Amino acid sequence: MMLKKINSSQFEKIFNKLKKEYNIAAPILHQKGKKELVEYSFIDDFKKIIWDKQPDTSPKNIIFPQNTFLGNDYNGNKEYDNNKKTIILGVRSCDLRAIKTLDQVFIEDEMYTDQNYKDMRDNTILVGLSCEKREETSFCDVLGIDAIESDNAPIYIFKEKDSFWIKVKEKEYEQLFIELPDGNKDEFEKLINKRRENFNESSFDLDIPVPLPEKEIFKSEIWKEMSEKCLSCGVCTYYCPTCYCFNFFWEGEGEESTKYKNWDSCMFSSYTVHASGHNPRDSKDKRYRNRIMHKFSYHPLNYEGLGCVGCGRCIDRCPVNLDIREALKLTEQFLVEKGGA
Amino acid sequence: MVKTDMLPQKAEILDITQETTNLNIKTFKVKFKDDDFQQKFNYKPGQFMMVTVYGLGEAPFGFASSPTNKDYFEFSVKEVGSVTKELHNKKIGDTIGIRGPFGNGFPVETTDGKNIIFIGGGIGLAPLRSLINYVLDDKNRDNYKRVQLLNAFRSPEDTLYCNDYNRWESTKNTNVRYTIDEPCEGWSKCVGYPHTLIEDKLEWDLPNTRFFTCGPPIMIKFVTNRLKDLGIKPSEIITTLEMKMSCGVGKCGRCNIGHYYVCKDGPVFTMKQLGEMPDEY
Repeated sequence: MMLKKINSSQFEKIFNKLKKEYNIAAPILHQKGKKELVEYSFIDDFKKIIWDKQPDTSPKNIIFPQNTFLGNDYNGNKEYDNNKKTIILGVRSCDLRAIKTLDQVFIEDEMYTDQNYKDMRDNTILVGLSCEKREETSFCDVLGIDAIESDNAPIYIFKEKDSFWIKVKEKEYEQLFIELPDGNKDEFEKLINKRRENFNESSFDLDIPVPLPEKEIFKSEIWKEMSEKCLSCGVCTYYCPTCYCFNFFWEGEGEESTKYKNWDSCMFSSYTVHASGHNPRDSKDKRYRNRIMHKFSYHPLNYEGLGCVGCGRCIDRCPVNLDIREALKLTEQFLVEKGGA
Repeated sequence: MVKTDMLPQKAEILDITQETTNLNIKTFKVKFKDDDFQQKFNYKPGQFMMVTVYGLGEAPFGFASSPTNKDYFEFSVKEVGSVTKELHNKKIGDTIGIRGPFGNGFPVETTDGKNIIFIGGGIGLAPLRSLINYVLDDKNRDNYKRVQLLNAFRSPEDTLYCNDYNRWESTKNTNVRYTIDEPCEGWSKCVGYPHTLIEDKLEWDLPNTRFFTCGPPIMIKFVTNRLKDLGIKPSEIITTLEMKMSCGVGKCGRCNIGHYYVCKDGPVFTMKQLGEMPDEY
C-alpha cells in the first residue's frame, strides 16, 4: 500500500499528466434545462470535478453506455480497439459495488461472458472516493456497504477539506503517483477514525432473509399496493447503478446494417410482450415485483450478494415518490406475519 | 465459458418449405456462409438459435432439425410479428444472421434405454422434430426402446412436416398417430384433443417411459394433468417454454421466471421443475 497526501494544485498537475495517456471520466455539473445534474463525463479540466455531492447518475454510462455500438459481423472490428485506457475518477463505495454486480453478470457468469463489456472493463481503472456524509435517501449501511472505503477499487481518494489523500492498494498503479509527497499514516488513520465516528447512520432498518424466498413473496399483496401510483416511466431503472436490462437495435438497411445494444427497462410493459400478444408481466405490480425481486432474490440466487447497493437514486428520482425502502419494509412485515401465522 | 459479442454469423437460406396449406408456417433450411464454421457447428435437440433479419431485428427459434446432419440446419417459423413476417418474405439464396446455439436442450443422455412418447401440438412439433429425428436416426435408434408419436393439429390444413411421416412410420418399433380437433371429411385418423386419446386410443406403454410434449399452453396443461392422473411422475414429463428474448445468454433480463432464465436455464424444463417455479409465464 502506498499513501500520498496532496493539495488541489498538485492533484491538477498529476491530472493533466494522466490525461495525456488516459481518458478521464469524473462527475461534473451539467445544466439540463432548469435542472443541474452531476453526471460522470469524459473531461479534461480538473477544476470541473464535483467532489462533495453524490453524483446524480452512477458511472454505469461510462462502462456500459446507454447506446453501445456492437458492429455487423461476429468477427468485425471493435470501435474502441485503439482507444486509450479510461480512468473513472471519484467512484463511491455504492457505485463500486454496483460495477462489481455488473461484472458478475457480464464477465464472471459461469456460462457466458459479454465480450464487449469485458473489453470496456479491461480498459477501465476505477479510482474510488470516500464519502464524507450519507445522503438522506441512501441506505448503503443497511445493505452492508461501507461508504468510507471499499475493496472494489485499486486506488482510493479521501478528500479532507482542500487536501486529497490517495491510497494506492495495488502495486501496478503506484508508478502513476510515485513522485507525489507521502502522507503520514497515523494522521490518515485518525482522519478515517474520526470520519467513521461522525458518519450519520441511515434512518432505515431492515431485517429480511437474503435471497428473499421467491415463491412465498409472489403470494404477497404488497406489489399491487406499492405499484398503484407507478407511471411505468422507467426512471428508477435508468438511474439505478445496477440495472442492466438491454435490448438490441439495428441501424441501416439489409446486410450492411449495424447492431447496437441499448438500455431497456423491466418497468416497461412492452419489455416482455410476446409477438403473439401474450405478456407474462402484463401489469405494473408484476413488473415492480420483478425489479425488487431481481435485486433481493434472483441476483443473490444466481450470483453473490445483493443486486441493490442502497444509493437511493431511485427514491430521489421517482416522479411519484415510490420508495424502495417502503417496499422492503412491507416485505419484511409480510414475512413476519406469515411466519407468525 | 463462452465469450459472445452478441453479433450474428451470416447464413444462407438453402430451401424454404411451405408447411401448412393456410400458409402461416414455413420451414427454413440454412447453412452458415463460412463452411468451416458450418462443419464445426453443433447443437443439441431442444436448443434454440437467435435469427437476425438484418436491419430489422432478432427472434428466437428452436432447432427443428437433428444435429446428426452436419451440412445444414432447419427451423420453422409461424408468422406472428414483424421479424417472422420479414422471414416469410425471404427467398432461397437470401442471407440471414444466426447466433447460437443457446439453452439447455432436451436431456438426451438420460433418456437412453427408455420408451419415449412425443406429444406435439401445431408449431410445438418444431422443437420436438429435432429430437424425433435424432432418436430415429439409424445411429441412435437402438439406444431407445419403443418410440411413439402423437402429432396433434387443429385441422388437416394445419399439418406440419408431412415429408417426414413416411420415414417416421417406417422406423422399427415406432408408432405414429395423428389427430385433429374436429371430425373432417376425408380424415380417417384420430379425432380429438390429445389428452382425451391417451387412455383408450393409443395403446401406450406407460412404465419406463419419458414424455416430451410441446404445443399450446392449454394442450400442455391438459396432457400433463392426464398423465399425472395415470401415475406418471412430473419429472418424466418434459416440455419447452417460449419467452420474449433478446440476448439468449441470460443477461438482457426479459425471459426470467423467478430467478430462472428461460434462455439459459431452459427452454427445456420438466413439469417437476415448472411446479417449483413462480407462476409468471
